Amino acid sequence: MLQLAAGNKMGPSASIVTVENLEKRFGHFTALSDVNLTVAAGEKIVLCGPSGSGKSTLIRCINHIEKHDAGRIVVDGVELTGRMEDINGVRREVGMVFQSFNLFPHLSVVENCMLAPMKVRGLSRAEAHERAIGLLRKVRIHDQANKYPGQLSGGQQQRVAIARALCMQPKIMLFDEPTSALDPEMVKEVLDTMVELAKDGMTMVCVTHEMGFAREIADRVVFMDRGCIVEEADPETFFRAPRTERARDFLGQIIH
Amino acid sequence: MNSLDFSIVVQAWPYLWSGLLFSLALTAVAFVVGLVLGTCLALVQHFELPVIGRLVRGYVALMRSIPLILVLFWFFFLVPIVLGHLSGNGRPVPIGATWTAFITFGLFEAAYYSEIIRVGLRAVNRGQFEACQALALSTFDTYRSVILPQVLRVASPIILSQTIILFQDTSLVYVLSLTDLLGAASKLAQLNGRLVEMYLVIAVVYLAISSAASQCVASLRKRYAIAGR
Repeated sequence: MLQLAAGNKMGPSASIVTVENLEKRFGHFTALSDVNLTVAAGEKIVLCGPSGSGKSTLIRCINHIEKHDAGRIVVDGVELTGRMEDINGVRREVGMVFQSFNLFPHLSVVENCMLAPMKVRGLSRAEAHERAIGLLRKVRIHDQANKYPGQLSGGQQQRVAIARALCMQPKIMLFDEPTSALDPEMVKEVLDTMVELAKDGMTMVCVTHEMGFAREIADRVVFMDRGCIVEEADPETFFRAPRTERARDFLGQIIH
Repeated sequence: MNSLDFSIVVQAWPYLWSGLLFSLALTAVAFVVGLVLGTCLALVQHFELPVIGRLVRGYVALMRSIPLILVLFWFFFLVPIVLGHLSGNGRPVPIGATWTAFITFGLFEAAYYSEIIRVGLRAVNRGQFEACQALALSTFDTYRSVILPQVLRVASPIILSQTIILFQDTSLVYVLSLTDLLGAASKLAQLNGRLVEMYLVIAVVYLAISSAASQCVASLRKRYAIAGR
């Protein structure tokens, strides 16, 4: 038993997320078909592709917000089978940042960050508060800790959302178009926070069209179209010499 | 009866007061029972549980389509007979007018509160549920700490309206020979022929209590307001 457990513990370069032959349908619409992806611990992956290509669906399957129809997903040694213990086990280790922030409007910024650590990790109020303030400081918004989400700008709200996810001390962070709902002048503050997080060594899977960000931090760019992974490459190669016609079209559209 | 004479109201005040206390007690109990039970009924429907969800939907539809006065009658006459059959000796087990009133009002109001809460639940953004999932919050914590606090804030004006209607409906207990504020006033008014004075005074009492309740909810709303919204 011990040996088995030890065998599951992986070295720094071993994969922390494994997705095999993933299928996801919404009614008759096939959102994902035969998707394979591995993410190594510490790796930063940028998922891009036209809208409706399945990028968001893919990362939402990784923490089981969407239930996959076929294939395997293994996160940190736990396979997502539909058992609630496994799902919550995975979710505890996977932080997620949404396009629309999804902060809890009736709780203050610091309370947003304290809720899950107290309820899920069993931290005391004082411990949760200390951790929350520490991470709010990290995203440079601790001076707004007692305000409510509705009193903050979009960029500030998204940084709070990042801090809230980090308060669970996740091993992986998923970002679902974190800057798409922001006014242009607020994009940078959120991207800067994400770059810092990347430099701290966090494993990250980001759905984003911010190609500057991809160039700066991505180890790998994964290009999706119509529910399939079409191309994977390091950012330099992907941007300079995309192999597929579809990737070239896509890059042509987003880089004006 | 050329001039109004309010002295009768002063004399009769203890009797009116006891009627008022009964109205308030019935309102308070029906509010608490109704809101708690109604929230449970709304959650059962919200979770779309297979069999029990349909039963609850049927219960709510039934309660909302029958006049309260009829429910009071039925409960008063039928439940003792049912209890008698269940207890085995066949003789009706009387549960008394007061118990009938408290239980019936609670069950009846639960149907109305459940509709309010159900609509409120539907109004909560999907993203709130997804954020809770992503944070691995249990279903219980999700609803207790995130969803229901938002629902209750949004629904509080409608909950208040329903509670004021409830307070006014307590006068229906006259069919069980119980005496609430309106019942006390009309008995006294018939007795001494001072209908106008009596009904004027209790109208003011109803107005005062309903306004106080509105004020109370307004200040609660202010205190628990979601800043920035």
